[in-house]
Amino acid sequence: MLVTEAQGKALLRSAAIATPSSQELRSLDEARACRIALPVAVKAQVAAGGRGKAGGIRKASSAAELESAFDAIMGMRFAGEAPSSVLVESWLDIDRELYLAVAIDSRVGGFNVLYSPRGGVNIEDGPPPLSYPVGLARNFRAHAFRALLEPVESDVKVRERVISTARRLLEIAQANECTTVEINPLVVAKGGALIAADAKIVLDEAAVFRKAATASAIAASRAKAEQDIRRCEEANLMLVWLDGEIGLISGGAGMTMAAMDAIDGAGAQPACFLDVSGNPTPAGFGLAFDLLDRAPNVKGILVSMFGGGLHTDRVAKTLVELLARRTSAKPVTLRLNGTRSDLATTILREAGRQNHATLESAVADIVKRVAGAQS
Amino acid sequence: MSILLGADARVLIVGITGKFGTFSVKDLAQSQTKVVAGVATGRGGQAIEGVPVFSSVAAAMRETHANAALVYVPAVVALDAVLETIEAGCPLIAYPGDGLPVLDAMEMRAAALDHGAHLVGPNSPGLISPGKAKLGFMPSFCYAPGPIGVISRSGSLSYEACFRLSSAGLGQSSVIGIGGDPVRGVNAAEAIALFHDDPETRAIIYLGEIGGSEEYALAEYAKRPDAKPAAALLVGRTAPAGKKMGHAAAMIGSYAEAWAAKVEALDRAGVVIARNLDGLAAAAASALARAMKPAA
Repeated sequence: MLVTEAQGKALLRSAAIATPSSQELRSLDEARACRIALPVAVKAQVAAGGRGKAGGIRKASSAAELESAFDAIMGMRFAGEAPSSVLVESWLDIDRELYLAVAIDSRVGGFNVLYSPRGGVNIEDGPPPLSYPVGLARNFRAHAFRALLEPVESDVKVRERVISTARRLLEIAQANECTTVEINPLVVAKGGALIAADAKIVLDEAAVFRKAATASAIAASRAKAEQDIRRCEEANLMLVWLDGEIGLISGGAGMTMAAMDAIDGAGAQPACFLDVSGNPTPAGFGLAFDLLDRAPNVKGILVSMFGGGLHTDRVAKTLVELLARRTSAKPVTLRLNGTRSDLATTILREAGRQNHATLESAVADIVKRVAGAQS
Repeated sequence: MSILLGADARVLIVGITGKFGTFSVKDLAQSQTKVVAGVATGRGGQAIEGVPVFSSVAAAMRETHANAALVYVPAVVALDAVLETIEAGCPLIAYPGDGLPVLDAMEMRAAALDHGAHLVGPNSPGLISPGKAKLGFMPSFCYAPGPIGVISRSGSLSYEACFRLSSAGLGQSSVIGIGGDPVRGVNAAEAIALFHDDPETRAIIYLGEIGGSEEYALAEYAKRPDAKPAAALLVGRTAPAGKKMGHAAAMIGSYAEAWAAKVEALDRAGVVIARNLDGLAAAAASALARAMKPAA
């Protein structure tokens, strides 16, 4: 999970990587008492990207400007998220902006070090960064990285400082179990020192059982999360809301995406990614229907489960009981295929419901019924 | 032939006394797979469904000459169990569990490479060579023997995709779940190389998704003049950027990780693309037809 810039920079400082002098503010009183020398950068603290382009980073040259920037930013939302605080930093005198990151890469099978002599907000528009596939952090070799850097970074002083900073980023990633530690921009200040002007650090959530800091970051993010998402996480369902009209309840990440794409292929759009394979019980399906029945953009619901280890006759019983109690009038189409699906079809038929044989026929059915209800 | 797992498999289940372990003893037996040993710390000398249990992998290997291991232990102790299995000399290990820290996956992968062993997983249903043996928990009824090598990042998608291939008369040489995590044992490039060297495999089917860069390994392979024909289905065309779609690795962080960029690269390399699941069997048949054509 992505942590805030302030949390990320604290990790950088723990490895003696320089950051601008700063103060994290949570109230207007704290903003008034701020002691960072002007001018300053005032930055929204959110665990979401793209905040600069959205107006979440402002320059303030006076105490009054700082206060109004604080007020404005705390009232903003970034990808739906309210800032937890504002970070005030001394304004940097920039000679050049670099890009330096370590990130897990699937084809490397471990850490990749990425460097570009031209960093900053438009990094994605330029040529791809240089990549040094390291694998395990302990396999980092300064001489190997230097050989790659020589053709792209002619400033020897900068080059050597980049090499030692890269080693420290790997040490941070290893010690704190991070999948990404990115500094963009890594500023070359007048005089040649390297200063981390931003920090994007992603913690590996799977390490929660042995990293207290990761556990508290997850707890804090869950407390802030939308109620729907939180309820799903607690019930072991996976939910991502989308913009479409077809509510989708499916099993397994890959099949859920395949069903989303099939809905698109039939000329409609999915309203969600909702994977109930982690809890295909009356409680799990009950929560799924509750969320989709309440969501105003959902016009119809498709349940598509392919039973491997899952016994679809049990799912059919669960659905029959649940649908009998349900009060919503939104149309529901069912498709239970795989293990014991003959029994599932019988159970559904006896309850007056159709079991579609394929994903495609079920998708066509729900798309038609939703379109019919709307016309 | 098949890849990694053949009819001579002698399977050892680490964590045999757990829920998944005891389920697998029966499930593998029904799939013509020989389970020769189990390992459960402190339970040596017992038997589960007639399978002898040992207290260490080394003891089980010594007594039973197992040549493949299925490791069913929780993520907190998975690294220790997989390292023990690799260092005991087992040449093929499947670790299906999910929620494994990436650093542990990296250590598992490095240890497997050091010992010349093949690790399948994490976050994968395992590996099956239909009609020969199974090293995992995938539903056996979905598979049939045949000439197609299948590589998948998703368990659920591979079950239904293979069920559709089998129903269309397109059997599989082996089906390997490379898993939904960012760092894995056998990766796409290595799985492709194994299928390339397997004479029974005539065509390769790749079931991929958004996020990460594994799919580019197939694009690079397909450009080779001696490449076997390939078809691919990538899911997540309708997934938004920046959101994790269930799997740890299924998130679009950059353009290259998006559906369109990957499909374009595969298409340009000559891989037959199935736009949706319902086009998969036809795409596979067309790749296979290319393999059947005698060389001009």
